[in-house]
This record gives sequence, C-alpha cells and structure tokens, in this order.
Amino acid sequence: MSRVGAWVRHPFWQAVLLLILAYLLFKFGIALLPPLLGMHSAPVPTSVVVQYMLIALVGVLIHVSSDETRWRRFKEPIHDTMVDADKRWVRLAVLILVPLLIGWVTYDQTRPKVEAPITLRSIHPAPPSQITFRGKTIQLTGLENPLRHRGSLTEHIETGKRIYYQNCLACHGDRLDGQGHFAHGFSPTPLSFADQGTIAQLTESFVFWRVAKGGPGLPREGAPWSSAMPVWEDYLTEDEIWAVIIYLYEQSGWKPRTWEESTGGGEH
Amino acid sequence: MRVAFGIVLALTAFGCGGDNGGASDQPAAGQEGGGAIAPAGGGTITGTVSFTGTPPANPTIDMSEEPACAQKHAGGARDPQVVVNDGKLANVFVFVKSGLPAGQTYPVPSSAAMLDQDGCLYEPRNFGVMVGQQLEIKNSDPVLHNIKAVPTKNRGFNISQPTEGMTTRRTFNTEEIGVPLECNVHGWMKASVTVLNHPFFASTGNDGTFTIRGLPAGTYEIEARHEKLGTRTQSVTVPQDGTATADITFGAAAS
Amino acid sequence: MLVCLLFAIRSPQSAILTQEPRGKAAYDKWCAGCHGDTGAGDGYAQAFMLPRPRDFTKGVYQIRTTASGELPTDADLRRVIDEGMPGTAMPGWRERLTDAQREDVIAYIKSFSQFFTGPAPTAIEVGTAPRASDEAIAEGRQVYEKLECFKCHGQDGRGDGTSAPTLTDDWDQPIFAADLHGSWRFNGGSSVEEIYRRLRTGLDGTPMPSFSDVIDSKIITDEQLWRVAQYVRSLSPEEPPPVREVIRAHLTEEGVPSGPADTTWARAEAYYIPVVGQIIVKPRWFSPAVEGVWVQAMHDGSRLALRLTWTDRSRSPDPAWDEWLGRVRQAMTDVDGPLPSSQGPDLLGVQFSPRSGEAEPPFFLGGSTRRPAHLWRWSSAPDAVTSGTGTGLGQFTADAGASQLTHAAQFVNGEWQVQFTRALVSADTARAPSFVAGRALPIAFFVADGSNGEDSVRGAVSAWYAVYLDVATPTRVYVAPGLTMLLTAGLGLMLVRQAQRRERNSERSNSEG
Repeated sequence: MSRVGAWVRHPFWQAVLLLILAYLLFKFGIALLPPLLGMHSAPVPTSVVVQYMLIALVGVLIHVSSDETRWRRFKEPIHDTMVDADKRWVRLAVLILVPLLIGWVTYDQTRPKVEAPITLRSIHPAPPSQITFRGKTIQLTGLENPLRHRGSLTEHIETGKRIYYQNCLACHGDRLDGQGHFAHGFSPTPLSFADQGTIAQLTESFVFWRVAKGGPGLPREGAPWSSAMPVWEDYLTEDEIWAVIIYLYEQSGWKPRTWEESTGGGEH
Repeated sequence: MRVAFGIVLALTAFGCGGDNGGASDQPAAGQEGGGAIAPAGGGTITGTVSFTGTPPANPTIDMSEEPACAQKHAGGARDPQVVVNDGKLANVFVFVKSGLPAGQTYPVPSSAAMLDQDGCLYEPRNFGVMVGQQLEIKNSDPVLHNIKAVPTKNRGFNISQPTEGMTTRRTFNTEEIGVPLECNVHGWMKASVTVLNHPFFASTGNDGTFTIRGLPAGTYEIEARHEKLGTRTQSVTVPQDGTATADITFGAAAS
Repeated sequence: MLVCLLFAIRSPQSAILTQEPRGKAAYDKWCAGCHGDTGAGDGYAQAFMLPRPRDFTKGVYQIRTTASGELPTDADLRRVIDEGMPGTAMPGWRERLTDAQREDVIAYIKSFSQFFTGPAPTAIEVGTAPRASDEAIAEGRQVYEKLECFKCHGQDGRGDGTSAPTLTDDWDQPIFAADLHGSWRFNGGSSVEEIYRRLRTGLDGTPMPSFSDVIDSKIITDEQLWRVAQYVRSLSPEEPPPVREVIRAHLTEEGVPSGPADTTWARAEAYYIPVVGQIIVKPRWFSPAVEGVWVQAMHDGSRLALRLTWTDRSRSPDPAWDEWLGRVRQAMTDVDGPLPSSQGPDLLGVQFSPRSGEAEPPFFLGGSTRRPAHLWRWSSAPDAVTSGTGTGLGQFTADAGASQLTHAAQFVNGEWQVQFTRALVSADTARAPSFVAGRALPIAFFVADGSNGEDSVRGAVSAWYAVYLDVATPTRVYVAPGLTMLLTAGLGLMLVRQAQRRERNSERSNSEG
C-alpha cells in the first residue's frame, strides 16, 4: 500500500499517470458528454487526440520542471534506467520497444492509404429569405405555420400523420429516428427527428423550406448531390406540408423554435 | 369495479361466448362415441344436381414441372372445376342449413374424412367434416405438397408432405362454411371443406346425385355449394322415416 | 343462462367506452399508422408496403414458437415488438416505448382477434442444435433436396424455385420465397436455432409450411431437420456484411479476369452494397425485388474489371412471372400510377462521376442536367451494355462512337453475374472518367427486376460509394520504417552510453574527492 503511495507521490509516475488519464479522457471521455445532454455523439478524430496529447505533455513538462527538486526527482527513474546494473532488462526492453514503435508509426504514415473522396457538407445550411413554391412566392423570414391559426389541430395532425406514413416513413422511420426500412441505403442518412439537434432547433418555416425543396434545393455548401430528400412540392400541397410539420412536432414532442427566440437569441 | 369487469370478461369468454372460434379443444358434451357418418333410420333427402347449358371449359394445367403428376393425366391435365356428365353436376356439396332441432348434438364419427392429393389435384374437392372429426390428408404423389387451410373461424394449418404415402390428421373445432384448402407448391390445387356440427351433408358424385340420411321429420332448408357456380338453397319437407326428393339445378351463368 | 344474457347486454364494450383499454394510447400513436386503428393492417402506410403490415384481426402470426396454426405466446409477440422484424418495415420498439407500454400494447393487439380468448398457447419443445460440420451441412443439403425445399427456394436457395412466381400470402398479396443467402434479413432471426424453429412452426400467413409432421411421420429425423437449418445458415455470411465506403480494385499482374465465372475473381474481395427502393422521383418504387449487390473489382494497370452479382429470382422477361407481375401491379399501382403491364428486362446501372479528381460527384440519382453522370447501363434482354451520359434517373444518352466498355453476363439459379471491363484511360475525358491507380472515384448503382414491374426509374438505388484502384506498394514503405528504427535505436544507445560514462566519471571523482 505504502509502495503504491510512494509511486503516486513520485513526480515521474504522476506525469505518466496524468498522461494516461488525459489520453483516456480525450479518446473516450469526451464522446460520452453529448449523450448526457441528449445529443448525438461521435468519436474524437485521432489527429485531434494527438494535438491535445501534445498540449498535455507540454503542460506536464512545464509543471515538473518548474521546481528544481521536483525536476531532479522526475529525472531519477529515467537516469536509473539508463545506468543501473539491475535495470539492465528494462533498459534493453526500452531500447528495443521504442524503435519498434517508431518504425510502426513510420510504416503507418508512409503506406498507401485508401480514402474515399472527401465531400463537404454543412448540416444547417442557411435558408433563403424567400422561396418559390409551385410558382408562388413565399416569404420565409418571419413566416409561421398558417395551420396553427386555422381549422382543427386534431385534423391537421391526422392529415400530417397520413402524409408522414405514406411518404416519409420509409426513410425517417415510424420511431422518427431516421431509421426507416430504406434509410440504410442512403448517405447522408435520413435525419432523426427524435434528436434534440434537428427540428427542435428549427423554426417551422425552415422545416417547410427543407421539405418543399428537398436535397436538390440545398444551397451549394449543402451538397445537393448526395441528399436523398425528395422535392416535396412535386408531391404535396402547401397545406399538406404544413400539416406534416405539425405532426412531426406533435409526435416527437418538441416545440418549434419561434421567430422571437431566433432573433432574440441573435447568435445563430 | 375492475373486479366486476374481470368477471364480465371471464363469463362472456367462457360461459356465453357462442362464437369463440374453436379456441377450445374440449369436445361438446355428447359427442363421444363413433358410428357411421349419418345416424341410421329417420328420413332421407335425396336428389340430383343438374347443369343446364354448355358447361365452361376447364382450364388446362401446366404440369411440366411435375412429370410424376403429369403422367397421371393422359391427354393433358385440366383443373376439373366444373364436371358435368349427361347434364349432371359433380362436386356439389349439399348440407342442411337450417331446420334442425335446437340444442341437439350429434355423435362425431370415429372414422376420418379423407382428402387425397393425387396427380397434383385434390380428391374430393368440395366436402364436409363434422366439428371434431378427424380429417386425414394423404399424399399419393411422389412430390412435395403443402396443405394449407385458411379458415376464418377456425385455426388454420400449413403442413409439408414431401413424400408419397404420407398422411396427416387434423380437426376443426367450430362450424365454418367453405374453409379453403390450398397447396402453395402447386398454385392450381384448391379444395373446400365445410365444417358442421351435424352429419347431414353429402357431396355429389359423377352422376350428380346425393343422399342425406337419418333426418327426423321436419322442414329443412338445404344449401348446395359449387366452387365456381355459387350456391342454391331449397326448402325440403321430410316425412317421418320417409324420403323427400330435392333436385337442384345450376346454370351456365354463375350466381 | 339468464346470467349470461344479463352479461351479454352489459358487454365488455361498454366498459371499453368508459375506460380506454390499456395499450390503446401507445398503439394509436405508434402502431396504427401501419396496422390500422382496428388492427386490420389497413393503416395509412398499407399501400406503400409489400408484404402489407400485419392484420391482427385474423390472429395469424409468422414468428412463433408454437405449432402451425396456433396462436403466438405473449413472449413471441414481445420478441417481435422488442426486436422488430429484420427485412421488413417493422422496427424494434425497445428504445421508444417503455416496458409497461410494450406489455400493454401486446394485450391490446390480442384484443383485435377473437382467438385470444381461449387458453394460452404453449411453445413446442425443441432440443439444442447438434454440432455443425462440413458433413452436417452436406447432409442438410441432401435433406433440403429430399424435402423439395427447392420448389420455392430454388436449387441454390435464392428464392427462384418453380413455384416462387405463384406464391401469395393469406391476404392474396404476392410474396417472395426467401433468398436464403441473406440470413440477416430473415424475419424471425438468422441463427441456426431460429431457422430450425421456423422449419418446425412454419411461417403462418405465408406459404411456408411446418415440417413437424414430417418428423412425426418418421420421414426425416429431428437431427436431419437441424441439418437443414445448418445448411440454410451456411449459405449466408457469418456476420451481416459490413457496408464499406471504398471498394478496392485488386491489382493483378496477370491481366483482368475474362468473365464473371473466371476463378481468379476469388482473389478480389467482395463488397456488399445495399440498395433500396427509389422513392425520390416519380414514379417512386416502394417494393424493390433486389436488396443488395455484391461488387468486386480488379485492375492490371491498363484495364479495370468490375464483377457485380445479385439475387434476382427471374431472368426477365420470363412468362412464368407474368402472374407475379399482375399481382404486384394490382398491389402497388395506388402509389404513383400503374406499373408496366408487361415485363421489361432486368437492368443494372453503374454510375460514375464523369471526371476523375473532382471532389463533388453529380446528383446521386442518375445525375442532373447541370451535372451529368457517366453511366454503364446493362440490360438482360437483349443482353447488352451501353455507356453514356445520365442527366437524371431514366434520362440516358448513349455515347456516340466505338465503346471502350465490354461485358459478359450469366444467370445462375437466381443470381445475375455481370462483368464489365474497360481500359483505365478514357478515350473521351469530357464524358467518361479515366481510372487512376492510387485514387478513388465515386461510384453508385441502380438495379431493376423487370418481372417485378421495375424499369429505369422504378428500381433499387444505392448512395455514392468509391472505387479505389490499388497500387503496388512503393519500396519506401519498407525502407523508411527500417531507417527510422535504426536511427532511434542508435540514438537510444548513444544516450545510454553517455549517461553511463558520466555516471562512472562522477563515481570516480567522488571516490577521488
């Protein structure tokens, strides 16, 4: 026990431990955070991990060298490994393992890599201020869902449900999670409405634009060549699109972002 | 309150549900004991089913994929949907539809009703069994048949019979008119079985005649069913221990 | 009897009116869109799916542990609701509905059928799978033949048997005999145990019968039925094929293969590309026959060969499938208008970005007028391939002049095998891409089965993938690591020597001092 305690108090092993912890945090810990907020998560890219690790290493070195005694104690195990007769085997192992590691890294860097052509895509492309829907100009800025002030909400939900199940289900799925039975065939994969990061962050007018104009209606930075979202103005009327939007919010339980929030928040 | 609903549900399900679809395997009281298909004695209904006009041509069947069946049909296989001999119609199922004394039960025959698959056709094509009576299904062809029953009131079945001579027995638990039987390997193979809780039914043979025996005196409605030509109903009065004649006519135009 | 009458008047319906049954709320919200408000399988999505959503009123269920014709157990229903049914539109609901909600939905679904009022059904007893081996699988193949499974599932198990075009389900809708090479899409699961259970219980509502009576009649043994399950399982890969973005074209020194049957194809890795219904432009297609394409690629530095294989139950047009087309036509016409009234050929489209080295490929669905795609278009009748320009799905202009593209195709027991061969260097770089070793080029696929009413728009599509032509590994890949290793080792030794010398010196000076 005291032996372990001595190790932990030793600056060299402290530094090693710190670096290991930092690596685990960067590699796995960060990816665990978004789900806590109900958001989707992705693994941290290796290049980013390497960068963070370099920063951590510099930080650790600055810390150990800031104090003369600490610096000396830090160097002790390194020095001992290099000179002590009873550390001969450790010395030998280090002298073999480090070159091997470096050799492998070099091999990994120089071997031909197979990479798919990179395609750029912005997740939330900026909407235009107005669109032409079947020849009619619709002002998107400040636009609200007209069905919310007209007719019966129950009926709109039912209409939206019918439209959703007949047209949207195969990709976006009956769980609204973007995992319909055809979703696996498309790239990018269909959007999940269950996610906090999609319709929950959008105004209904933005959703209307995305539905009406589909993949081909995306601006250049939105990569129109790969989204499978159809141009729904070819299939659905204006009211039908508004109804399916009402259904989406009703079924998912999210509230659409309002124009007050958008302009008040200001940062978007 | 919830307990009360539970009792209501339980009682309706087991006590009062007259139509719980044969989910029960228990035979009704008084059904034990064997015997012939119809009780001895009593009155008889007999008759001839005729066909007027020119019978429609029966469709040919392409059995080239099943040579073992094809060779059982000299001169090419046809689906014998409408079989007429000298104006007499075969494969008509005739049964007493109403008029029987209420609450009366009839013994279930100990012998099984037979259904054969021969030359990739069913024989008989249109027949009856009693509720709880064994139906023996036999494969007389050296090819795979599956026999599938698609009832609505009874539970169905779908059994594979891959070899010649294989027999399988099944029963039906509740009355149902015209349960379709089919083979999916040979899409043309169709038959129909009617499940009744009395023994007063018969199918016409090649001479178009049928006989229903053992009926108490009374007035009955009988129904004749043909797979393509529809149904005919007729009222018949049976005298005490006597015979009533009921001739039935189908026409070229299906009804 | 009087009591009965009284209760009959106060039927449970009145209770339902005042107190909504448990499970109804969740069912109405999440299930009714497909299965219908009354459970009759007639929800909004009905006409957009084939097979149709399950009709609960008949009490007929495919995936059970009970004998043919019997009701499923609650656990059977629970499993399907929890896990979903692979290969169908039915997802698993474990993450969307709570445990209690799913329990209640089961109770509610059962209330749609008169049959569930009887005693609870029991699962049939099954043993455990005997050990699998090559001999076991060979025996399974023999039993597969003895039981004549091939009548529907075909000689090679691709669902192309002679009875396959005539199959319908209990609702008179056309239904495909399963392609036994895609176990990850088996509705009831892909394990040997699950396959064995399907053989014992049958798939009620479909033409698939139960084989329990065949064991009872001593025509085969129980173990032999296990062998069939093991044989069927052996037809599919052990794991569902991963979907990988880059198809690597294997570099060969000996020239590209001469045709799809060439045994040298075994050297090139096969990539599985899923394809799904084209539901983007009119007329959309919700019932594709083909679910995936296997792609292999090889090049020899001067020519590129692609080999594509996929399950297709018919060599279209095939008169045996006229009946099938009629049924599909009737089932799917409501969506975006009538299907073709006669069978077209089978089609395969391989699509490229017209110029190599561009980051942006054209619109994945056959290109667009603004940015056309380069296309290789194969048809089964006549058996021919054309290269040309696509400006949208079904919008195709064949290249003028001599084509650089050659092909060979064969249809083997329900599988198309097509090889395309082309020189790496394009003769017309404005329209057709040159293939460059060491570089990836966007590639996408389109497949149509003519017997299923499919054509150049109604078919199955893939997203963009990439084909990468392997390069011979440069010498530096082996030299550089060697050098760095030597350098590091030398440096390490030097440091150690220095430190040791210093140590000795200081020891000496200490002892002297």
